[in-house]
Amino acid sequence: MATTRSGAAQRPNGAPQTKVCQFKLVLLGESAVGKSSLVLRFVKGQFHEYQESTIGAAFLTQTLCLDDTTVKFEIWDTAGQERYHSLAPMYYRGAQAAIVVYDITNQDTFGRAKNWVKELQRQASPSIVIALAGNKSDLAAKRMVEFEEAQAYADENGLLFMETSAKTAMNVNDIFLAIANKLPKSESAGGGAAGGARRLNDADAPRASSCCK
Amino acid sequence: MHEDESCKFAACTFFAKNHPGESCGSNGLPLTPSSITILGRSQRLLTIEHTNLCTYLDIIRGKHERIIVVAEVIGKSLAEYSSKFSYEEIINISLQVTNAMMFLHKQEITHRTLSDDNILLDSSGRVKLFNYGMYYMTNEGNEVPFPLGLPRYLSPETILNGGGPAADVWTFGIILLELCIGKLWKNIKPGPTLRRILTLVHANNPAERIAREHDCLEAYKEIPETVRNLIEKCLKIYPSERATFEELIEDLSKINSKTLEDIKQPRGLMGCKLQYLYYWWQLTGGDIQAELKKNGLIKNSPPILSMPIAILLDGGTIGGKTGALFDRRIAKYSLDLLKNRLSHIPPQDFYPLMHERRKDYDAVALPKIIRERDTEYQFYRLLWFQRLLHGYPYTTQYIRTEAEIDIPPLERGDVWAALLGVVGDIEDQYERIDKETPTPTDRQIDVDIPRCHQYCWLLCGSAGHRTLKRLLKAWLLTNPQYVYWQGLDSLTAPFLYLNFCNEARAFACLSAFVPKFLHKFFLKDNSAVIKEYLAKFWQMTAFHEPELATHLHDINFVPELFAIPWFLTMFSHVFPLHKIVHLWDALLVEGPSLPLFMGVGILRQLRDTLLDSGFNECILLFSDLPEIDIGECVKESIDMCRISPRSISYRRFTNEPEMKDPMDIVEVPLDVLLSETCSRISLADFFSLTCQDKCCVVDIRSNLLYEKSCIEGSINVPYSGVHLGQHELKSLGAHPNKVLTEAIRQKKIIVVASAEDETAQLFSDYLVKCGVSRVCVLHGGVSALHTHVPSLFGVPKKTAHK
Ligand SMILES: Nc1nc2c(ncn2[C@@H]2O[C@H](COP(=O)(O)OP(=O)(O)O)[C@@H](O)[C@H]2O)c(=O)[nH]1
Ligand SMILES: [Mg+2]
Repeated sequence: MATTRSGAAQRPNGAPQTKVCQFKLVLLGESAVGKSSLVLRFVKGQFHEYQESTIGAAFLTQTLCLDDTTVKFEIWDTAGQERYHSLAPMYYRGAQAAIVVYDITNQDTFGRAKNWVKELQRQASPSIVIALAGNKSDLAAKRMVEFEEAQAYADENGLLFMETSAKTAMNVNDIFLAIANKLPKSESAGGGAAGGARRLNDADAPRASSCCK
Repeated sequence: MHEDESCKFAACTFFAKNHPGESCGSNGLPLTPSSITILGRSQRLLTIEHTNLCTYLDIIRGKHERIIVVAEVIGKSLAEYSSKFSYEEIINISLQVTNAMMFLHKQEITHRTLSDDNILLDSSGRVKLFNYGMYYMTNEGNEVPFPLGLPRYLSPETILNGGGPAADVWTFGIILLELCIGKLWKNIKPGPTLRRILTLVHANNPAERIAREHDCLEAYKEIPETVRNLIEKCLKIYPSERATFEELIEDLSKINSKTLEDIKQPRGLMGCKLQYLYYWWQLTGGDIQAELKKNGLIKNSPPILSMPIAILLDGGTIGGKTGALFDRRIAKYSLDLLKNRLSHIPPQDFYPLMHERRKDYDAVALPKIIRERDTEYQFYRLLWFQRLLHGYPYTTQYIRTEAEIDIPPLERGDVWAALLGVVGDIEDQYERIDKETPTPTDRQIDVDIPRCHQYCWLLCGSAGHRTLKRLLKAWLLTNPQYVYWQGLDSLTAPFLYLNFCNEARAFACLSAFVPKFLHKFFLKDNSAVIKEYLAKFWQMTAFHEPELATHLHDINFVPELFAIPWFLTMFSHVFPLHKIVHLWDALLVEGPSLPLFMGVGILRQLRDTLLDSGFNECILLFSDLPEIDIGECVKESIDMCRISPRSISYRRFTNEPEMKDPMDIVEVPLDVLLSETCSRISLADFFSLTCQDKCCVVDIRSNLLYEKSCIEGSINVPYSGVHLGQHELKSLGAHPNKVLTEAIRQKKIIVVASAEDETAQLFSDYLVKCGVSRVCVLHGGVSALHTHVPSLFGVPKKTAHK
């Protein structure tokens, strides 16, 4: 798991050859599939068996270094319960990337993931990069969703796909890295989290914020 | 070890089973450590009270899966008495033992470890069983790595396949036989002892056979027939043929000739509730573990010695010193330390009188967490609360007044229930609710519970999980208008934590809490309720922290992004339990508007950081909330709550009676509320502030209207002349600046009065941006006030400097 980890922070400031891109990424999926755990693993390199449930949403940031670009992810980790669904648009609106997570030991969560993908395709920004994560791959003995089935679904829908484990860290950095690679890093790319930072009632007017410097 | 009567409790210790390696349960989570299962199960034992049972006081989880059991002790164990007992004494002892045993069996607790070293007898003849719950708390011995029960007391079926409650009757029979003819199978190793017991299976009369084996047939025959009959009724090979304890009691009562004097409750300290004594003793510095170490019951060997020599592939280990897994010894504790600490307390203070004025203690000035550690303070508080709780519900008002000062942690469960008005036959009501039938919500509950306050030993065990699930299901079933929102689990947790063995009361508390503090929050569509709440929270922030509110508003940092879990769970999803209890102590006393100010209190603590931060840093701060000083937060929020006129925190979605009087009304449609930075104050509140000279009125109508008739004492700042872009009071002119600055200095409430709502809002928003605290808008404006309280109006005094 030797992928880049917040490398940008260590780079001398103002190194001329790197450009910094900021992307808003949202995690979606049924509750308890491991969204918060994936973020925690990616951002802090930790795993908590008793990760608290997420109410509303949580926000974290992490930076990845690609060859010539530093990618800063602004990550919105959302609540999984269906009831909190009405809040979700506030977080995925204006997002450039999404990771839709399911739990490989639970078929229902895969069905729910498909619904999220549909909703994103309909409602989110048309250029959004979507990745599908089959989490808890360490529990392969209790697998209910076959790798091939998910891979086929991902191919059909043009999604990135990986099976991950927040517990063992398998593929966690990789999936973020794959997203970072796929995101366009032109001058106009990127946007700030501030887009989501509006009152619920007038949230339809996300504030544009540029990022690539 | 002490023998005198100042020893009221003792401890013993053993090790729980270690799960090999890194095994996981079926949900992928690690297996619950045995010590936690034991801790959860033993909570029930802490509530058992019976004259012939030593009260359990504490179950402690030490290092390396060690469990320490603290319980009441009296006198000496039967094993420690060297002289023989008379038959009269034996019968009386037996009667008391069987009484205790019948009680346990009624509670469906099997003793299994009854022996002559855990039957205690004091000089007055009182018998109490010590640590009778080993088998129960260890889940029938499954959670410990050693067998339970002394070999010589095990019934044949126990040796063969486990055995049920009737095994206790056999054990009692053996003890009774030993009392009559002396200790059995002395100096015989466990293996052979068990073999001998098994050979009894072929005996017609096992008791007689045992006596013959011990060359005591003579002595056996000399036992009075009544007693011998009892022994033989117990020592039947087939469990179903043995007498029950109920039957034994009946027989024993007939032949018992000794009546115990009613024990007189000693006066003073030693007459206080044992739980209190133990608690105070700990506050004085009493340390169970330290004492066990001193007595050699806990041996401290360097950890390297207990490392295994080899670890097998399946996770098992070889070698490594583990020490004794179960030490039969007990350590008694002297209360001398506590007696000395409280020796200066006059006798009458042990019996506080209801209607006497409460004494003031110096400690009241100290922070709550320090008061909670002060022996003497807790001594007075506990006795006083004991007294008040005894009189509940008639003492509700007293309890409330006292709880305002603080709540003694030891009685928090009772006090909360009283503050929430829990009365009636709650057990029966809870009993009737169907908590088992599966529902579609179960999956969500099942995935949330293992993530809910799992650092807490009580809540992370299987007992805790099961109870929490039952409570949630019961609540959902009795509140069909509501649905399960994630967070309801966290909200229920504090009640379970405080009422772990009183599920019905935990439920009653939750049921009373929600309508009071979270009315309509758990509706399927709660968006209006939440929006209103957050809008009010934001207005309170503007009222008390205008600078912060302005900054957060500027960076688009809105409460929807961080405060939903705060209010939906009344902070129970945000803080650990030891902090929640202090927050809720205040909440229960102050009432439903306090949480809004607690929210402001949290922001206030983070004020400097927030003011220096942009959107991302702010939101990061709240995703991983830094340490909050809860004591300080509670104090500040209560202050803010009390200086805020009631109407400014008015919410439509409460359970309180509807406001009918136009003087009280401040309600506006939700979309209007959402657009307003500053709260509205009702005419009634305004009137009362005016009478106390606690407000400063800024009339923003035109000078023409003002000159005609104005609120007495108000200043006129015509809205048309205000430069909204210049956020400085000075720009309002010399006189308004002077008056406002003085009003701010005197911490007055600034009331904006206008002819229309729109200008009032724009101007009040402007004041907030200028950093003015405590700004609100007069609901209905000048004209409404004129209609209802014309007496407040006059013509402006011509001032010289105008
Ligand atoms: N075995 C295993 N458990 C995981 C993994 N990721 C998360 N979990 C567990 O699954 C539960 C739910 O995780 P959480 O991150 O809270 O899920 P969320 O509701 O989607 O945010 C927690 O108990 C985690 O410890 C994983 O990769 N493997
Ligand atoms: Mg989560």
